[in-house]
Amino acid sequence: MRVLVIEDEAPLREQLQARLRTEGYAVEAADNGRDGLFVGREYPIDVAVVDIGLPELSGIEVIRRWREAGRDFPVLILTAHGRWQDKVEGLEVGADDYLVKPFHTEELLARVRALLRRSAGWTQAVLHCGPVALDTGSQTVTVDGEPVELTAYEYRLLEYLVMHTGHVVSKTELSEHIYEEEMDRDSNVLEVLVGRLRRKLDPERALNPIETLRGRGYRFRLERTDPPTADDREIAEKPQ
Amino acid sequence: MLSLNARLLIAASVVLVAFLGLTGLTLDKAFRRSALAAVHDRLQTRIYGLLGAADVDAANGLELPQALPEGRFSTPGSGLYGQVADGSGRVIWRSLSLLGLRVPFPQAQQPGTRRFSETRAPDGTEFFAMAFAVTWELGPGEEQRYTFQVAETRDQFAGQVAGFRRSLWGWLAGAALVLLAVQGMILRWSLAPLRQVAREIAEIESGHGSLLTGRYPKELRHLTDNLNALIESGRSRLERYRNSLGDLAHSLKTPLAVLRGTVEGDPGPQALKEVVQEQVDRMDQTVHYQLQRAAASGRTALTAPLAVAPIARKLTSSLTKVYAGKAVQLRLVVDAETSFRGDQGDLMEILGNLADNAWKWSRGRVTLRAHGTDETSGEPPGLVLEVEDDGPGIPHGKASEILGRGVRADPHTEGHGIGLAVVRELVEQVYGGNLYIDRSPLGGARVRVTLPK
Repeated sequence: MRVLVIEDEAPLREQLQARLRTEGYAVEAADNGRDGLFVGREYPIDVAVVDIGLPELSGIEVIRRWREAGRDFPVLILTAHGRWQDKVEGLEVGADDYLVKPFHTEELLARVRALLRRSAGWTQAVLHCGPVALDTGSQTVTVDGEPVELTAYEYRLLEYLVMHTGHVVSKTELSEHIYEEEMDRDSNVLEVLVGRLRRKLDPERALNPIETLRGRGYRFRLERTDPPTADDREIAEKPQ
Repeated sequence: MLSLNARLLIAASVVLVAFLGLTGLTLDKAFRRSALAAVHDRLQTRIYGLLGAADVDAANGLELPQALPEGRFSTPGSGLYGQVADGSGRVIWRSLSLLGLRVPFPQAQQPGTRRFSETRAPDGTEFFAMAFAVTWELGPGEEQRYTFQVAETRDQFAGQVAGFRRSLWGWLAGAALVLLAVQGMILRWSLAPLRQVAREIAEIESGHGSLLTGRYPKELRHLTDNLNALIESGRSRLERYRNSLGDLAHSLKTPLAVLRGTVEGDPGPQALKEVVQEQVDRMDQTVHYQLQRAAASGRTALTAPLAVAPIARKLTSSLTKVYAGKAVQLRLVVDAETSFRGDQGDLMEILGNLADNAWKWSRGRVTLRAHGTDETSGEPPGLVLEVEDDGPGIPHGKASEILGRGVRADPHTEGHGIGLAVVRELVEQVYGGNLYIDRSPLGGARVRVTLPK
């Protein structure tokens, strides 16, 4: 998944970037509103973390222009004030959640995960598709309860496919959302990754979870099977 | 922009001049008319005089004596002239005063008729003249027609009119000056309260006073009361900032001391991590709380009331978005007229914190109510806000703690903690209202805020 972080305070921005990368995200960063607006408009982004108080263009303005341009990825705003008026303003203009600075990084990660799931239509932390269960919190995968060992990129690829289960995902889309901008992408690498995933998830070749559609891309074939409970346990306690 | 003094003076002067001018002109005209009537009467009397003096002579003609009762007829150039003409227009008598002068007398045709005219002689002299035609019975059966004519120069008339005018305008001018002077004094007296306001404000600015304390007429009272309210709210805000800063500094001392102490004690990495985490959290809460306190704007005078309904709607839709993973059914009971007198940020803070708590703890149902109260509802006039949820509720001990003393300078954070503390501070200290916590019929907590008008 690709995250855009717009934060003008360098230490905070760098800290977030590093942590998000560790968590398996492809991270783009900007230190002012104008650059951030551009990246959000021109590049494929899955979720954005935007500080409200930015130089050149305020966070609120950036979000407003994104929404006007039809960019509808979820946005988490960071606010130093914590006044309800600011939170409401941000949410009204198009943000989906807020966090008051200073925050616990764990809290931010949890909320980003929740936003990503929600925007893909999932309400829970664990995505169930038949025998396959993908836990976005611990970033682990089980098949029929048996854990499966995946590398970082294998997991990223699988997570993206599972989130968009039933939809065709082109190779370009996959590489855009899994890799960071500057990385050298070779479409062969994707094929190799998919091959490895198939072998690990489905050694007996009984499930066929990932389907290749020649010329169009890949599709995760197993349907969603949500267990009955509906509350989003991943939303941690919100501090005031 | 003209000063009030200038405006009033100009207006009064214009009215005065117009009025006195009009009066003067009317009186002048009336006097002229009456003087003219007098001339008319005078001329008539002279004609009767001549008639009286006339007599039939031996030759059955009319004759008048040399010496007439009115001496001026006999004095050349006296200004009073007489003439008698017969039926054919031939002048049969001329007064001595007419010597050499040619006075254009008017003609009267029918016997018994009179004609009055204002005429001018060829040399420019102006006259009032009257002609009266009579039929004289000279003898039995013998009648003759005669016209008696009298003329008077305008001098007398002109002199009267001029004299009157001098008096009139003189007195009017005098009256105008007196009235203007009186006006000026009335102005000074009337505008004294405004001067007083200006003076008091100057005193406040120079630091010699703090509020407008004079007694003012009712038209100014609204203004001065509002000014005082403005001054007061500015001052209390300053006070709040100072207090918050003071409290903030004070509250930070302890965590800082703990950190310093811990570092000096040379702890292991794990212990250090724990202490830092703990103290950072504590400092964070304090900073946050004090910022909220200081940022409260409070009620300023001269603000229009805010409609509560749209603000409540904005808040609840934001919360619905934020808690998207949680299916919460909201019941919003606010009608369009319910309004709040104060700062929008403060209202959002109060409702936001209460609603956020409700959403967080609810199992699926939240009710938000707001209504205005006046004398008829049995409660003091103002605004009532109520937020309920169907969650676990607030235990009685916790509620007392939140509502009790000592939560202000250094709040704890635990779910309802900071949010309610902020609300309490705002409601009680800034708006002079009250906060109540009890159990909702829905099963969870019900928080009720009453704000006076």
